[in-house]
Amino acid sequence: MNERFSTTLEGTADAAARSTPPAVARRLRGLSDRAIAWIFISPTIILLLAINIFPLCWAIYLSFTNYRANRPNAEVKGVGLRNFERVLTDGDTWLAMQATAHFVFWTIVLQTLIGFTLAYLIDRKFRGHAFWTTVILIPMMLSPAVVGNFWRFLYQPQIGLFNYIVSFFTGVEPSSFQMLGDVTLAPWAIIIVDTWMWTPYVMLICLAGLRSIPDYIYEAAEVDRASPWRQFWSITIPMALPFIMLAVLFRGIENFKMFDMVVLLTGGGPGSTTELASITLKREAFESWRTGRASAFAIILFVAVFGLANIYVKALNRVKQR
Amino acid sequence: MSTTAHSVVAPGRLSKSIAGAVVIIYALVTMIPLAWILLTSLKSPPDSISYPPKVIFEPTAEGYCNLFTTRSRQTDEYIESLGPPRGICDEITRKRNMVIVGESNYWPRFMNSLIIGFGSTVLAVFLGTLAAYGFSRFRVPLADDLLFFILSTRMMPPIAVAIPIYLMYRELGLSDTAMGMILLYTAVNVSLAVWLLKGFIDEIPREYEEAAMIDGYSRMQAFFKVVLPQATTGIAATAIFCLIFAWNEYAFAVLLTSGEAQTAPPFIPTIIGEGGQDWPAVAAGTTIFLVPILVFTILLRKQLLRGITFGAVRK
Amino acid sequence: MSVERNGKGTRSAWPGFLRRGPMEMLAMILIGLGFLMMFQPFAEILYTYSFVTLLTGTVMFIIVSKFPE
Repeated sequence: MNERFSTTLEGTADAAARSTPPAVARRLRGLSDRAIAWIFISPTIILLLAINIFPLCWAIYLSFTNYRANRPNAEVKGVGLRNFERVLTDGDTWLAMQATAHFVFWTIVLQTLIGFTLAYLIDRKFRGHAFWTTVILIPMMLSPAVVGNFWRFLYQPQIGLFNYIVSFFTGVEPSSFQMLGDVTLAPWAIIIVDTWMWTPYVMLICLAGLRSIPDYIYEAAEVDRASPWRQFWSITIPMALPFIMLAVLFRGIENFKMFDMVVLLTGGGPGSTTELASITLKREAFESWRTGRASAFAIILFVAVFGLANIYVKALNRVKQR
Repeated sequence: MSTTAHSVVAPGRLSKSIAGAVVIIYALVTMIPLAWILLTSLKSPPDSISYPPKVIFEPTAEGYCNLFTTRSRQTDEYIESLGPPRGICDEITRKRNMVIVGESNYWPRFMNSLIIGFGSTVLAVFLGTLAAYGFSRFRVPLADDLLFFILSTRMMPPIAVAIPIYLMYRELGLSDTAMGMILLYTAVNVSLAVWLLKGFIDEIPREYEEAAMIDGYSRMQAFFKVVLPQATTGIAATAIFCLIFAWNEYAFAVLLTSGEAQTAPPFIPTIIGEGGQDWPAVAAGTTIFLVPILVFTILLRKQLLRGITFGAVRK
Repeated sequence: MSVERNGKGTRSAWPGFLRRGPMEMLAMILIGLGFLMMFQPFAEILYTYSFVTLLTGTVMFIIVSKFPE
């Protein structure tokens, strides 16, 4: 279609193009649409190949070697699949995966429940809802690292605000529990901060889902005398589901690779109770300097995220068609 | 919203008030940590760590002074021999038996954040606009796969990417340089830019360019003189999203920069005073760092949804 | 970027069970299963083989998305 257009234009185009220097104009017009397309797209592709794909291939190569980044001059030997074998049979890494699972699961559950409820309430369109929606959105735009760091202060026993508020409502002595120092509480401490930050994200997408449901469906249900409860379960939830899925997948991907907020809040401790996959990876790569093994672990995480990303894009296209 | 058109489904008065009350309570609760950051930044160090936490206190600029200066402890005689204090920070510092000996690293780090943030945003938006136009208007072979490839680069775990990038930058001498960080953030941001801008450009009718080309514009001229002006709003929104990402990023910054090119997020947690973290100074640094983003969030609220879903959801 | 293509009639010889829809579903189930295996706290052997499952699922997803509808 465009191809055809530009060829038929050749004759009529000259007159108006005279305003630009003829050499430049001819050179530009000489470019076919296909050439322009590639000129426009290739810088992006080249940048991504250089900064993303080339390093990725390098990481794949390294994952089959015993390379250590702190000894660049040592002989590099191929070790076959041994790095993968080690990572996948290592109990500590497995524990990190379980810590990640706990974190991902509960953040998704809490964020979806709270986020959907909020969206449902905001969709009542009470007076001032636009303003309060904007207020609610603020936490998710902030830097997780900088805010996570400050939460460490909020969680301090005695001097921190969090314990004090909890004690105000429950009567528990504020210094009787340590959110970051206790092995059972620390995993929940990071879940609370993540939920605080990212519930707005889930809410926003659920809100879009709720607003995409046309009114006439509810009107038809009303005519059929369906109860509000029934309307909720047979119209609202199914119609909003693709959007909820989108939010869940994206939060799943993001939290699977969570690093910044948690590393500043707990640093993986106490013990290794909040040591998520990315933190283990960072330790392997930049503290133990087992680059080969860390690369293998990185590839494993990458494949996992890539698999989810495939499903995410499918969900994205589904929502787009609405 | 006109209530008459939706009379059948319009929520009742009572349910509206309850909904409003719950949402407002939630909003206020989520604001507590942010309010606490602001309050802490105005406290003196002893007030900041008092038990129970103080809500009412005498505000002081000490946190901000400590954020921007380095100080050393001196004897009373020495301080008395100095003459009148220059400025408010000098005065506050002397009350603590200290003198200002120099500027802290906060300002250079903040500038790094600005340079790297804006540099990578300009580059990403420039490349992204071109690529988005290419994908939007031309039949590109394997377009779906290329678009997925572009998006998936955004989803890679940062630490997984950081290992080979670290080695590559070490070889190329790009570690701890603003250039290296700008390139890296551009690569991450360009994916968002392409997806968002493709949506914006898709919405500009092709007829505009075609009309311009009938009038004798070349394809390039049509792109620059017809499409770009139409896409300004979209480009601005995309730019702010890219800027926010680069501004907030921590994982790459902490692994790949240590001095010269370090941005503010890895720096703020390292602000320490005598005997532990200087919380008022940290809070002051955090406040200054968060203000631009707060402003952008309010400006962006209409485009927010689009930005965080890669342009898939419009409302 | 709608990826729905109308493949009807173009390749009638393509076997029914290799259509895109069901194969994509299978790939997605494999990816999900891989995640469950990676995340479960019960048997280390399942964790060990989670990566292979994930890899299979992901590669399969990429391949079958080229299949006709």
